[in-house]
Amino acid sequence: MRKWRVLGLVLALAAGMAMGGLAADVLTIYTAYDADQAQVYIEAFEAANPDIDVEWVRLSSGEVYTRLQAEAANPQASLWFGGSNTSHIAAAKAGLLEPYKESLAWQYISPQFKDPDGLWIGLYVGYIGFVSNTEFLAEKGVEAPTSWQDLLKPEFDGEITIAYAFASGTAYTTLAGMLTAIGSSDPGFDADDEVFVAAFSDQVGQYNSSGSAAATMVGLGEFGVGCVFSHDIVKKAIAPGYPVVMTFPAEGTSYEIGGMALIKGGPQLELAKVFYDWAMTKEAQDLYQQFFRLPLNPEAVLAEGSVKATDVNVLPIDLVWYGDNKDAMLDKWSDVTGEY
Amino acid sequence: MKLDAYRRELRGEVRRLARDPVLLGIVGVVFLLLATFIVFPLIKVVQHSLWPQGAFQPRYFLEFFQKTYYWRPLVNSLIVGALVSLCGTVVAFVFAYGIARTNIRGKAVFRLIAMMPIVSPPFLIALAAILLLGNHGVITDALRLDWDIYGLPGLVLTETLAYFPIAFMILEGVLSKIDPSIEEAALDMGASKLRTFFTVTLPLAVPGIASAALLVFIRSLEDFGNPMVIQGRFRVLTVAIYHAAVGRYNLPLGATLAIFMLLPTLMIFVVQKYYVARRSYVTVTGKPSGIGLKTTERHIKIPILIAMSLLSGIILLMYGVVLYGSFTKLWGFDNTLTLQNYRYVFAVGGQYIWDTLKIALIATPVGGLLSIMIAYLVVRKRFIGRGAMEFISMLNFAVPGVVVGIGYVLAFNTPPVQITGTALIIILVFVFRRMPVGIRDGIAQLQQIDPAIEEASSSLGAGFFRTFTRVTLPLVAPAFLSGLVYIFVRCMTAISAIIFVVSAGWQLLTVALLYEVDQANLAAAAAYGYVIIAIVLGAIVFMRFVVGRLFKGGLAPLRGE
Repeated sequence: MRKWRVLGLVLALAAGMAMGGLAADVLTIYTAYDADQAQVYIEAFEAANPDIDVEWVRLSSGEVYTRLQAEAANPQASLWFGGSNTSHIAAAKAGLLEPYKESLAWQYISPQFKDPDGLWIGLYVGYIGFVSNTEFLAEKGVEAPTSWQDLLKPEFDGEITIAYAFASGTAYTTLAGMLTAIGSSDPGFDADDEVFVAAFSDQVGQYNSSGSAAATMVGLGEFGVGCVFSHDIVKKAIAPGYPVVMTFPAEGTSYEIGGMALIKGGPQLELAKVFYDWAMTKEAQDLYQQFFRLPLNPEAVLAEGSVKATDVNVLPIDLVWYGDNKDAMLDKWSDVTGEY
Repeated sequence: MKLDAYRRELRGEVRRLARDPVLLGIVGVVFLLLATFIVFPLIKVVQHSLWPQGAFQPRYFLEFFQKTYYWRPLVNSLIVGALVSLCGTVVAFVFAYGIARTNIRGKAVFRLIAMMPIVSPPFLIALAAILLLGNHGVITDALRLDWDIYGLPGLVLTETLAYFPIAFMILEGVLSKIDPSIEEAALDMGASKLRTFFTVTLPLAVPGIASAALLVFIRSLEDFGNPMVIQGRFRVLTVAIYHAAVGRYNLPLGATLAIFMLLPTLMIFVVQKYYVARRSYVTVTGKPSGIGLKTTERHIKIPILIAMSLLSGIILLMYGVVLYGSFTKLWGFDNTLTLQNYRYVFAVGGQYIWDTLKIALIATPVGGLLSIMIAYLVVRKRFIGRGAMEFISMLNFAVPGVVVGIGYVLAFNTPPVQITGTALIIILVFVFRRMPVGIRDGIAQLQQIDPAIEEASSSLGAGFFRTFTRVTLPLVAPAFLSGLVYIFVRCMTAISAIIFVVSAGWQLLTVALLYEVDQANLAAAAAYGYVIIAIVLGAIVFMRFVVGRLFKGGLAPLRGE
């Protein structure tokens, strides 16, 4: 019998260990920042607010949107931190967000960077760029792409990598850029856009779930060209020393506003507001230097090597329209590309 | 007349069950659990596919055959499955023949290497394939090759390596059990060794080969981890289901695709279980002698030895390159050795390690006890619905992980059982996903124990519980504990069903690993992989030590599926 008592003790100990820490008072966040980046911001917040413990999940912005839809009856998180605001706009339209106008930041953020009803606010802006592996370019004897049309060059067949438009804000923002630059600049697909997007999809060697992954993959030489936000290209491919070059489409590139929002019915909205206020402070936004992002708090410092608005030609893209019509656009994208 | 007899029997069964309220209660609870956590999610899948908004509206069902991008992933999955099944079985046969039927040296080492893929994290082999054979991999660069590993070639390579061990285990058993006297008879009558092999040995092994090939086919069809990493544009059905359900939140589409995934796996499961398994020739040949005819000719042995060494070399190389990669600073460009990847894993993933361990430590004993309980009921007790209990509890054997995952999301996101976002739903997925193996092993074990021992306990006045805990459990303990190790290992390495049910509060190591692979943070992914391997090895060693101390027989050898 003794051995059974020993075994029982071991199992009870294991179960006890497992039960410990099941309950804790915490703030749950969905973040679209890459995990290593989110870690930096959230640790800084926890250091400034030692009484709040943050639990977080990293999801691409499109995935946050679908997660909120899935959990609408029973929201699990209270704050949506980062990611392209087209997804925030789509979520706002679907009634998944909680308005918050009382924050200090609301006063100084200009109208084009926030929702008029206070459903989301801008954290930073970013511009889509092309990242190309220089060894690949030399081997193929081809120049890095400097226009949207260049992406269709036969040398790039199967060599382009980008994320799924439904999963990633990077990819959806890129799509909005293509639709604006090609054919008529009216939002949405026209006949030229369909031809272009289908031909572009044929060039893609691999779709990813996360937008910034393409920067590393091109850096590693797994693929030749990627469409990624310039701050991610600088942070993940240029700064580490990979053999890459960054270019922009001459006719104009696409851009995002990185958004933040409270989640309607979230279980810890009061804690979420503390985080929300903190995320807009100079102290928090100065952290963006590490990742070459362009903060929207006017007092925050810009990192050396960041790509600024004056460095690129930006297309007049109606982000609100692309947010409002996101579901229909993605259905159309699936039809054209055969990806879903 | 016949009906009358049947009725009488049924009445007898009901009366017997009514006389034993403890048994009745336990049977009732088990059925309730099986209905809730195995049958109900599957019903939900069908319901969401055909009746998405409550009304009969099989939109995606009809569109499935019209839109290329819906049916193409199924065809792709079947192509991969067929190729992997073929390659995996051939490789496994060579390995099994070498170990069971020749007198080569180093069998223990070969067997150990062949088992490595079974206890390894899901993306490890695909990750190794990219590190070695990717567009900028070590081998690709060294040989200046221009190939594309992403897509069909990568899928066949990685899945063959990942799943041939299952076929190997079956074939080793089959080949070592073929009655040598039949082969001896052929040789005595003047047939050459080659002729004997093709006309006697191979035909006798055919049911085993078919069984192995079908199992590998199922495992390839339901594979999620490797395609997620290496499919390129060759889209397979599991990934399509995941993207439809989780990426787009199109649950009716995801559910419809899930049904088309379920149909072939269920069909194969039934064929394997009720047709192929019954044609086994090895079991009817009487006592296996165990001495078997060993091939000693060098012209046969040496090619087999070379093939086995080559394959073992590939497996070791893959594990080695991932281990090396986990210590490099910037894989491919700065190969300075560093611990930074492990520091990153413990900083970002420290919580995941704890969460995964907690969940595994709860799921393991619960799953183990429930399995042995069901095995006991099925083997030892007579009650109405016994066959149904066995069938339902074994059903998850054939249901692909992604189908279970989408079923759980559909079934448990709303009352009466609203448990999405909790640790409970992850634990339940583990328990009910892993039960079939535990039950199968439990049944095999119990059938070898004379029921007279338990009857003695009952007739001395012990009740159901007392008999079960004091007599039955100790008797099956070694098998039970090795079952626990199996469940624990699978908890640490599972991904396909789990990816649907993880949440903010509860993240798992395999999911973190997938994220790093997806980010192309190959070195960090490699480090995660080796943290998982370390935990799994630690658990196996610990259990062997504990069980070795507690029970004379020691731990039964670890088994796969």
